[in-house]
Amino acid sequence: MTAPTLGAATAAVPPRRRSTSWTAARRVVLRKPGRVIGLGILVFFALMAILGPYLYPGQLAVDPESIYAPPSGAHWLGTDFAGSDVLQEIVVGARYVLLTASLSALFTAVVGTGVGLVAGYHRGLADSVLMRATDFILTIPAFPLLIVLSTVWSFANPLEMSLVLGLTGWGGVARAVRSQTLSLRERGFLEAARGLGLPTRHIIVKELLPNIAPYVAMQLLLSVIGFIGAEVGLFFLGVVPFSSSNWGVMLNQAVFAGGAMNSPEALGYLLAPLVCILLLTLGVVLFLDAVDELFNPRLRERS
Amino acid sequence: MKRLTQLSAPVAALALLGALSACSSGSRTASGGGVYTTIDAKNPITAGAPMNPFNASGTAFIGYNTMQLGFDKKNALDPNDFFPGLAKSWTSTPTALTVELQPDAKWSDGSPVTADDIKTSMAVALTQGKAASGTALLTQGLDVAAVKSTGPHTVEIDQVAGAHNIGFTRLVLTQFIVPTKVYGSLLPADIWDTIAASQSQDPADADAAKAAVDKLNAAGQKISAFAPKSDVSAGPFVLTRVNPGSAVLDKNKYFYGAAKIAPKQVVVRHYTGNEQIWGYMTNGELDSAPYTSIPSNVLTQIQRAGYQRVDTVSYVDAAIAFNESVAPYDNRAVRQALAHVIDRQTVTKVGEPVGGTASPATTGLIQSAAKQLLTPEQLAALDPYTHDLAKATSLLEGAGFRKSGGKWMLPDGKPWTITLQTVNGFSDWIAASTVIANELSSFGIPTKPAVTADFATYQKEMADGKYPVGWWLTALGPDPSAAYQRLYGTSDGYTAVGAKVSHASGKDSGNWVNTPTSYTVDGTALDPGALTAKLSTMAPADQKPIVQQLARATNQELPMIQIWDYTNVQFTSPKHFTNFPRQGQDALLVNPPGVWMMQGYVQAK
Repeated sequence: MTAPTLGAATAAVPPRRRSTSWTAARRVVLRKPGRVIGLGILVFFALMAILGPYLYPGQLAVDPESIYAPPSGAHWLGTDFAGSDVLQEIVVGARYVLLTASLSALFTAVVGTGVGLVAGYHRGLADSVLMRATDFILTIPAFPLLIVLSTVWSFANPLEMSLVLGLTGWGGVARAVRSQTLSLRERGFLEAARGLGLPTRHIIVKELLPNIAPYVAMQLLLSVIGFIGAEVGLFFLGVVPFSSSNWGVMLNQAVFAGGAMNSPEALGYLLAPLVCILLLTLGVVLFLDAVDELFNPRLRERS
Repeated sequence: MKRLTQLSAPVAALALLGALSACSSGSRTASGGGVYTTIDAKNPITAGAPMNPFNASGTAFIGYNTMQLGFDKKNALDPNDFFPGLAKSWTSTPTALTVELQPDAKWSDGSPVTADDIKTSMAVALTQGKAASGTALLTQGLDVAAVKSTGPHTVEIDQVAGAHNIGFTRLVLTQFIVPTKVYGSLLPADIWDTIAASQSQDPADADAAKAAVDKLNAAGQKISAFAPKSDVSAGPFVLTRVNPGSAVLDKNKYFYGAAKIAPKQVVVRHYTGNEQIWGYMTNGELDSAPYTSIPSNVLTQIQRAGYQRVDTVSYVDAAIAFNESVAPYDNRAVRQALAHVIDRQTVTKVGEPVGGTASPATTGLIQSAAKQLLTPEQLAALDPYTHDLAKATSLLEGAGFRKSGGKWMLPDGKPWTITLQTVNGFSDWIAASTVIANELSSFGIPTKPAVTADFATYQKEMADGKYPVGWWLTALGPDPSAAYQRLYGTSDGYTAVGAKVSHASGKDSGNWVNTPTSYTVDGTALDPGALTAKLSTMAPADQKPIVQQLARATNQELPMIQIWDYTNVQFTSPKHFTNFPRQGQDALLVNPPGVWMMQGYVQAK
């Protein structure tokens, strides 16, 4: 009886709600210039990742006559140790870096949130089993594991890399979500939901999840930064098969083959990927402020 | 080259040859001769590693605290031209070598170096055939049958009956000499009986010979792992302290030529890669540096820091090697096609711009040696495998490969991808790999470079056959026998004791090249391993016909693709010391600075 009624009400609301949500989101983002800049940076890099390989199809051109050429009209960011265009490497390399980090973060958010919600809501045996599994994941030293795995796995596909990063990264999210769930499940609205006999899936998805969504959303964005650092670090260490169109490999080549720490000529090659990583981090941090307010009505009311 | 980072590939090559061009440098002056700071080309400092020259990571430095009877001058015209070491002089006969030891040679504990020490050292060397990575080349053909004391300071070292190894003198003189009091107890009491049994060429004794070889190998492993409590050196320095970042060697007051040794102390710095060595030099911290792969931009900074560049010939070539037990690299047309795709000029300009010259053709020799050993007509007849994509396409299509969607497919229709193996820290190999991967990928063979953690692991895994395609150092010389042993020696499953040549393949055989045992060249069948073994028994003047056959065969079959010949670029700093060897003094410069010092070079300012 209740369900059709709710469904009908919901069906009537969507256009207004969507419009309201978009308006609220736009208002929240536009309220502070930093948020606009953050969003702009994220959109810029997202477009770079999507369109980059189409802008520069084919292999990198090698030109041994213009090794470490300074920035020019032909090479906006100069050239690398092989005379290849640094801008092209940055643009083409963005897809792997961002796709890997995004997929890893998504994997972490989905698995961590799912495990935390189920464990926190059900408690008992499910909680014990899931939390022991979480403890096990938390004890795995992720980065050393990646180095070991890289001896048997080529990580040629972003999905492979993100799977490993995500598999070792969801423990912290699961723990935090479980804590919040344990707290929420004692609140009145959840007791009412249970009293009404609503199915568990409905309670978890419709009642609990929206309440922890702000935390999950922020965690997702923050973990993007962490995963970029992890994958770039792995390539920087030079322990996985590489192509030169990868930000971590660029850092590795600049330091270990180009002598960027000993010679100013290779400095541009070193700085290009570093600045990109810094910009991405800045974009995420600035935009996080907007996400926080979007998901937190009290913040909206205060402002 | 790093990764090691580690070592540079050339450095490692020179290490393999036992002809390191290690360097030293001077730094803050202590009273007397001061402190000479350098790095060792053979390996970085490994904290906790034993002070044992037979250990792959041992803290032992040739020319400083590790001595030989002599030090090779790398004279292409006379393979037995040496600087004296613990041997004051020597005379060779076709069957033996008689050595007169330095009359004042003493160990750092004050006891004399005796004939018994030489005997022990030869026995230890004979246990090292497979015990330590990288030593196989040194002991190949070391057919020592007996060591006898023939006078107070003279020792006779006999060659196995029937053996006529032209490199016998060189091999004996370049073995590490260690004290009996430290290493003698590690050898089985019947070691010389075991050695004799292992050298038997009688087919009836084959099982006994194999058992003897196994026994020697077991002893060799024990010796490789041995950690002496303290360093007992007969060299100009003795190891006194090892830190994670450096090894400290003090002057050995008992060294027979101590008066010529200026530095009071030598500090050998640790490094994790080439870039760290560059940093030492741009900061002016080293008194000299051995060959290290350097990009042009860093070279400028090093010279600005006051270093003087000294170039000498390097009998080393960087090559791309194949494991022919893995398809499709067992197909000659495939190897030839890849040679046509790789633009060696471009790869060299990027990978080794300072110390490399693109190889004109693959012969198994560096170009300067090829010019000496082949006639102009033979040189002209070699296939240079120029950068020619049309020819590569034709070769692959002829071998049944087809292109689909811009990518080459194997004859069975499966995609063809290449992982080009290189070594962490070998910056030149890594940079060159990037270019080669780019060229091959552009041609339609998706290629990615992969790095191995360090050179010791690389050599081991290479020997285990784990890499279908990877970098390798070839053309080691100046003796062409050594150069071809790199191709058709132990790494190709060939071993030779005396006149007996045997071939093995499969697991644990050490054969990772896996060339056929017979090539047909100009209508004539030849066995490259047998010819290579034969080379080691011939005088230089008689080697040419066989070298010419092997060069022609290698050029046709391409078991490896030579990419560039190295130039041995070293650096010296006049800041703290003077009288370094100069350009043109190649015989000195191919040896480590400890040998320079023994000859009276490197004096305090």
